[in-house]
Amino acid sequence: MMRLIRSREDAIVVLRCRIEMYVAEKMSGRRAANNRIRGPQSALTDFLASNNISAAQISAEYDRRQREARQREQEEALANGETIEQEHDNEQEKDEESVEIETAAQKKRKRQQEATVSKIKKGKAVKKQKKSKGDDSDGGDSDVAWDMYTKKKPLPGQLENCEECNKRFTVTPYSKTGPEGGLLCVKCSKERTAQEKKNQKPKKQVVSRDKRRQVQSNLLDGIVQIGAKSLQDICIKAVANNIHDIDEFGDLPQELLDPLSQILSRRRAITSRTLDLFLRPDLDTIDLYDCGKLETEDYIKIFSVVPNVRNLNLRNAGQFKDEVIDYIVERDVPIRSLQLEAANLVSNDKWIQFFMKCGERLEFLKLTWLDYSMDDDAFSHLVRYCPNLKRLKLKKCFRLTDAALNAMKELKHLERLSLRFPTSTSSVNLAELISSIGPNLRTLSLENFTDADDDVLSAIHTSCTQLQKLRLTENDCCTDAGFVGLFTEWSNPPLAFIDLSSNRSVDYSQPDGPEEPIGLASAGFEALMEHSGSRLERLDIPSCRHITYESFSNIFDGKQQYPLLKDINISFLTKIDTAIVAGMFRSCPQLIKVTAFGCFTVTDVAVPKGVALIGVPNAQDSIVQEGDVDADYF
Amino acid sequence: MNTTPPSPYVTLISSDGFEFIISRDAACVAGTVKKMLDPQSNFAEAISGVCTLGTINGVVLEKVCEYLYYNLKHRDAKDVPDMEIPPELCLELLMAADYLHV
Repeated sequence: MMRLIRSREDAIVVLRCRIEMYVAEKMSGRRAANNRIRGPQSALTDFLASNNISAAQISAEYDRRQREARQREQEEALANGETIEQEHDNEQEKDEESVEIETAAQKKRKRQQEATVSKIKKGKAVKKQKKSKGDDSDGGDSDVAWDMYTKKKPLPGQLENCEECNKRFTVTPYSKTGPEGGLLCVKCSKERTAQEKKNQKPKKQVVSRDKRRQVQSNLLDGIVQIGAKSLQDICIKAVANNIHDIDEFGDLPQELLDPLSQILSRRRAITSRTLDLFLRPDLDTIDLYDCGKLETEDYIKIFSVVPNVRNLNLRNAGQFKDEVIDYIVERDVPIRSLQLEAANLVSNDKWIQFFMKCGERLEFLKLTWLDYSMDDDAFSHLVRYCPNLKRLKLKKCFRLTDAALNAMKELKHLERLSLRFPTSTSSVNLAELISSIGPNLRTLSLENFTDADDDVLSAIHTSCTQLQKLRLTENDCCTDAGFVGLFTEWSNPPLAFIDLSSNRSVDYSQPDGPEEPIGLASAGFEALMEHSGSRLERLDIPSCRHITYESFSNIFDGKQQYPLLKDINISFLTKIDTAIVAGMFRSCPQLIKVTAFGCFTVTDVAVPKGVALIGVPNAQDSIVQEGDVDADYF
Repeated sequence: MNTTPPSPYVTLISSDGFEFIISRDAACVAGTVKKMLDPQSNFAEAISGVCTLGTINGVVLEKVCEYLYYNLKHRDAKDVPDMEIPPELCLELLMAADYLHV
């Protein structure tokens, strides 16, 4: 190191020297800290080491304790003038003495057993000694540690008397334990296994995923199937499955064509080819629930094959264009009932032309999802040229406004009116409309009229006297007092269908609602049930969150009867609990469906046979239990 | 009025002359047959216990009888597996089912 550095080569040599020395130093240092080279370690030692536990330390401790114990023993033995080996022999002699006392028959067996036991003992003792004598080499260390933690292997050839049949047998790892804790022979073991299997509950039948999905899907539709499906249903399904092999339906009655059309529509299988199956000159009704795959020519084909169609229901009829209307007008197709969905390629002028030529006979018109045509002007022509309309349903016709609502007053023959306007309308107009056509109405359905207020309710109260079905949804202007006013001393007979979904205050800063309740609350709900409970078949009150628990428990107390109530929707009424639902089952003998999404306190309710309870937590388990309506819950 | 209890078996005869002797319980699964056999009525079928079904042929009626027993067997069961319907029979069977109210 003290050499003079003369050139670049020399400098490199010096540097290399230094590095080598440094490395050597480091290596020796490490060795000093970790003074021996290790062979492979057992997994356990590794694990312990990773947890900062040294196997070597444990075994050293263990050895120390052993040594101390041995020392003590030796000291005692020295004091008694005996060696350890002698003690061992002593033990054996004692054993043999006790054996001699026993009967001759048992003697032999016992001796054999004892011999085995002593052999094992000896073996162990030898092993122990070996270990304690063994040096502290690394391999030895980990072996000891390993032995300490492993189970003793069962020794082959052990003999035992069977606990049940008392027979002598060889113990194997498969021998079972008897009821008293003893071992059992092969035969008894087998018998016991068989018995255990028998006692086990029969396994639940494994239902395939598709099947389960179908059952759940049916449940959501409120279908609880008990017993086999009807042969008609099975056949309709079979026909739908083989629709591509069928050339014609023959003279299948109209009632069967409709369910077929529904299934095929749902599968999006109504095409130009399958359409032909539904067209027969003698029919007067065409119901197609998904016309998405039909072209303009197909619509014209409908009227050329079935010239006398009176009831036409085409959903998703995107290609129902002006030409089709032209054809209808030209051939004077005697349509009385027309339902069209999404027929956006019919222009306003064509609508007007259609109403002028064919409006006289129209009795039922349902138009939905029209966002391009059918404006207030076209609607005024409808009112003018279709005086005989009895049913009118307009939903999501985006170009209709208050003017249409005003014009509607002239439709004096209307019996059923269902409206859902995309824009907000004035409450005054709505109240006036109800006052002028209310007396004739059987159905009044007002969805999403957010600005309707108590005036509308009082207009219903005063002018409607023949209503059977009432829907008023998504509103936060009507008050509870308004609903009380509507249902108290109403000259209208009890209603069969009531849907008052989402009539509640939407001010979430006041979760319990304002002092004066907004929407359908306790008093209104009680007045409703008082008025219509006797004839009510369907009740939808989801999200009417101001109805109190007390009110529910008064109404569904299990004693008051609502003899016709079949279908209840109480979704998102978080106050409802298991007791209320159980009361519902008792109060409504005809009940078939309860929808209760978001009712988290409804759990473990015993659902009567034939009732579908939808949406409660853990619904997957057993939605339908077989049991009485009287399943006790109080 | 005949007071002796009716026989537990009835006969269904197809349009092409096949006779199916099935239990009364099974036959009464079909609404139309049940009405035909109603002891309160004075229909010839109720008295003789023989129904002639002139619109249904033997092959279809055999399948119908199979269904009647299948329905009876699964009367109170849940999640009943659907009965297999041969595709070539499904339309005729559908018509028969409509006629028989099953």
